[in-house]
Parts: sequence; C-alpha cells; structure tokens
Amino acid sequence: MKLTRITAIALSIGAVLGVAGCATASTPSAEPIVIGSQAYYSNEIIAETYAQVLEDAGYTVDRQFSLGQRDVYVPALEAGEIDLFPEYTGNLLQFFVPDATQTAADDVYAALAKSLPAGLTALAMSPATDQDSYNVTKEFASKNNLESIADLAKVDGLILGGAPELAERPYGPTGLLEKYGVTVSFQATGDTTVDSLVAGIVNMANVYSADPRIQQLELVTLSDPKGLFLASNVVPIASDKVTADARKLIDAVSAAMSAQDLVALNVRSVDEKLSAAVIAREWLVSEGFIK
Amino acid sequence: MCDFGELGAWLCAEGTWTGQYGLGNLLVEHLLLSVVALLVAALIAIPLGIYIGHTGRGSFLVIGLGSLSRAIPTMGLLFALVLLLGVQFRELSVVLALALIALPPLIAGAYSGVTTIAPGIRDSATAQGMTTWQLVRHVELPLASPSLIGGFRIAFIQVVSTVVLAPLVGLGGLGFGIIQGLALRNFVQVTVSAVVIIVITIAGEQLIGLGQRRAEARLVAPKRLEKP
Repeated sequence: MKLTRITAIALSIGAVLGVAGCATASTPSAEPIVIGSQAYYSNEIIAETYAQVLEDAGYTVDRQFSLGQRDVYVPALEAGEIDLFPEYTGNLLQFFVPDATQTAADDVYAALAKSLPAGLTALAMSPATDQDSYNVTKEFASKNNLESIADLAKVDGLILGGAPELAERPYGPTGLLEKYGVTVSFQATGDTTVDSLVAGIVNMANVYSADPRIQQLELVTLSDPKGLFLASNVVPIASDKVTADARKLIDAVSAAMSAQDLVALNVRSVDEKLSAAVIAREWLVSEGFIK
Repeated sequence: MCDFGELGAWLCAEGTWTGQYGLGNLLVEHLLLSVVALLVAALIAIPLGIYIGHTGRGSFLVIGLGSLSRAIPTMGLLFALVLLLGVQFRELSVVLALALIALPPLIAGAYSGVTTIAPGIRDSATAQGMTTWQLVRHVELPLASPSLIGGFRIAFIQVVSTVVLAPLVGLGGLGFGIIQGLALRNFVQVTVSAVVIIVITIAGEQLIGLGQRRAEARLVAPKRLEKP
C-alpha cells in the first residue's frame, strides 16, 4: 500500500519533470502540434477530428482539451501555447471586436481574419455552424403559423428565454424590436433554457443551432431572413507552427463537415454517450479521411 | 458622477437599478430566497436539535449531517433537484438546496446549546414540578438561545453566499449580475454585484451577532443582581 503510494508520487513528479523537459529541450521539427478545445462536448469532437487526421498523417499531437471558455484559452492561443483550436467565426469575432456589425457568414469571416492577433490565422471556415437561433415548440409554431422570426411580430405576450447575457446582446430583445418589430419580455433561464421552453415558462428560446435537443424535442428553429444573428461557422484557428501541409489536411476536414454532420455528431454524443475520440474516428472513416 | 469612468457609466446606465434585473429587484430576490431557505431549515433544525440535545438520542446525526453537508456539492444538488422536480419548481429546488446547507449548523447550534446546560439546572427545574414541555420552553430554549443564534449566524453566511447560484437555473438574486457580467465581460457589473453580496453578508452577520450578544447578556443579568 505504502509502496504504491510512493511509486505514484514518484511517477507524478517524473511526469511533471518530463513535461517541463519537453517544453525546453525538444527540437522544432519534433515539437507536437498542441490542439485545444473548449469545455463543450461538440467542440471537443471537432478538435478530435483535427487531432486524428494529423496523427494519421504522421504528426505528433498534444491534446489540451476542455480548456473552459474564451477568457481562459484565447490568452494561451495568443501566447503560442496552443497551435490549433476549433472556433466559431461570429462568437470569436465578437470576442475581439465587441461592437462588430457584420452578420452574414462571409462578412464575419473576413472581419475575423482581419481582427485576429498577430501570429494567429483563421483557416478556411466550415459550412458547419453552431450559432444562436430562436426556437419555439412545434405546437406554438403551428398555433401561430410561425416559420421566420418576422412572423412573431403578430404574436402578443412573447417571453424570450436565454442565458442572462442575452438581455444585453445585439440580437437580444433590442435587436428583435429594431430588426423585426417583435416585442418580447426577457426571462433569464440560464442552463434551464430548453426545459423552460418545453415547460412553457418561456415561449421562445435562444438555443445553439447544433444542439441535439432541437431534433430530439422537435423544436422549430425560426429562420432569420434579416440577419439578426451573427453567423457562426466552425473555423480552425492556427498558429504559425501549423505547417502548410497540416493546414491542407485541416481545411479538407472543415470542407467535409456539413451543418447536418455536426448536429449528427452531437446527437451521437448525447444519445449514445460515446467519447469524442470514437465519434470523431467513425466520422473520419465514413468520410474517407482515415481507414 | 456619470463621468467617473466605467463605474460611473455603469451606475448611470438604464436598467442598472430598476426593472426585473435591476440591482434593487435582484437584492430583494436575493434576500427573499435566503430568508425563506433559512426559515424552512430552522423549522426542521431547531426542534430536531433541541430534541437530540434534550433526549441525547441520535447525537450521531449532528456529526454525520455536519460532515455530509460539506461533502455534497450544492451546485450539483441544485441541478439534480431541478431535473428531479421539473423546471416549474425551480424556486422550490433552490430553497431546498439552500435549506440543506443551512441544516447542519442550525442543528449543531440548537443541540450544543441544550447539551451544555448544567445538569443541576435541569434537575432543579424538574424538581420544581415542571413538565417536559415547560422545561424545554422556559429553561432549555432560553439557555440554548446564544448557541442557537450562533448556528443561525453560520447558516446565514453560507446561504447568502450560495444563493449566487440561483441564476444558473433561471432565477434572480445578485448572482445574476456576476453571471451576466462575466459573459458580457462587464467587470464593473461583476465587481459591484460581488461587493453588494459581501456587504449584505457582513451586515447580516453583524446583526445576528448583535442578537447573539443580547441573548447572552440576558442570561448573565441575574448573576449581577446577586453581587452587590
């Protein structure tokens, strides 16, 4: 018992020293590509597809997943501690330029490419999106004949549910009124947003478009013809350490991932409780990236 | 005052003070959730603590509950309760989760207040012909009150500082300013909300402490009469 504990301590000290040693002693060519991900299962699956494609091509990869939110990992990206990170065009643009006015996918991508700090590049964006969207229940949609956000203008007593910060976002209650003439009262529902929508505490809710529950609970996502929401396509952010060859591989993965693919990957994670590595691997195999 | 940098601008902004998510309403919600949770906990804890102290039965509960409450993560418990009871009952979930962390200090306070009463006092009360109820009501409860209020003081601090989690399940309270502020990177709002929480925690704790000292002073007073 005692011996195992001492061994464990010795091993962990060894591990710490080992990691520290790598950071200083290795040559640039053998240096692994450090891939990060948010503390968000869907983001981790995407990061895992990058990691496996690179590994398959013979690169060494160091996975630094579940790094929390932007406040935490963007400084690490800027400092060069992370080399590759799956991001979302709109949300990342908003992080660097809080008052950005672009909403269309291409405009957002162009603006993001310009606003990234030196040393970081936005690789080609993917058609897959994970962005804010307004959703209603199927019953509410058919009762009020709802297809687009504009249809809400004739509905009274709308209560919008979402994260607390939605109250102040440009696409929140203010934007709804300005762009579509839709008046809503706001209810901060935090992590219970989807449950609150189903329970009828709110009658429209801000849910990420790749959320599997939209499919599972048959929610209706209202279309956004006037571009209220910032488009947020999946986009890999790379440091200068990611070589042109590696970039080509990642670009191919981005191009192959459709919006439906991303939802399907998320559904597998939530329904089948598979690990990100397994989901990513099976998708890469089905798309012919690896065998 | 509005020119006073970011702080001034935020303090003068529309919606900072009034409205559903203004500081005024959030403060009221914060205190309301805390007080209701404390009352629910007190209704269970005080009779239970006095019963355990009076009879000596189940004193393992006091220690067991105390350690258990430190082992249960409140946030996890809160989400579990919301999932279990349904989002319609989120107020109840928050109150139950908070009451559960308030129980152990309240029970311990009532219990130790009663057990530390000198046996002679209890015996003489019984010798005078007091019934059990009279003994509890007129002797044990007053003598235990400083310790009981002390337990209340700890419970208050824990509850008031934990209500901050309520916005995670869609309720208000001053935690809203912190959670919203972090997402919007509005650190003025985060700081002001945190300071208000600290101020009401310290103010409430001092107020209860005053009550505790009053209760103690009332018990000491008869001794002074014997002295002159």
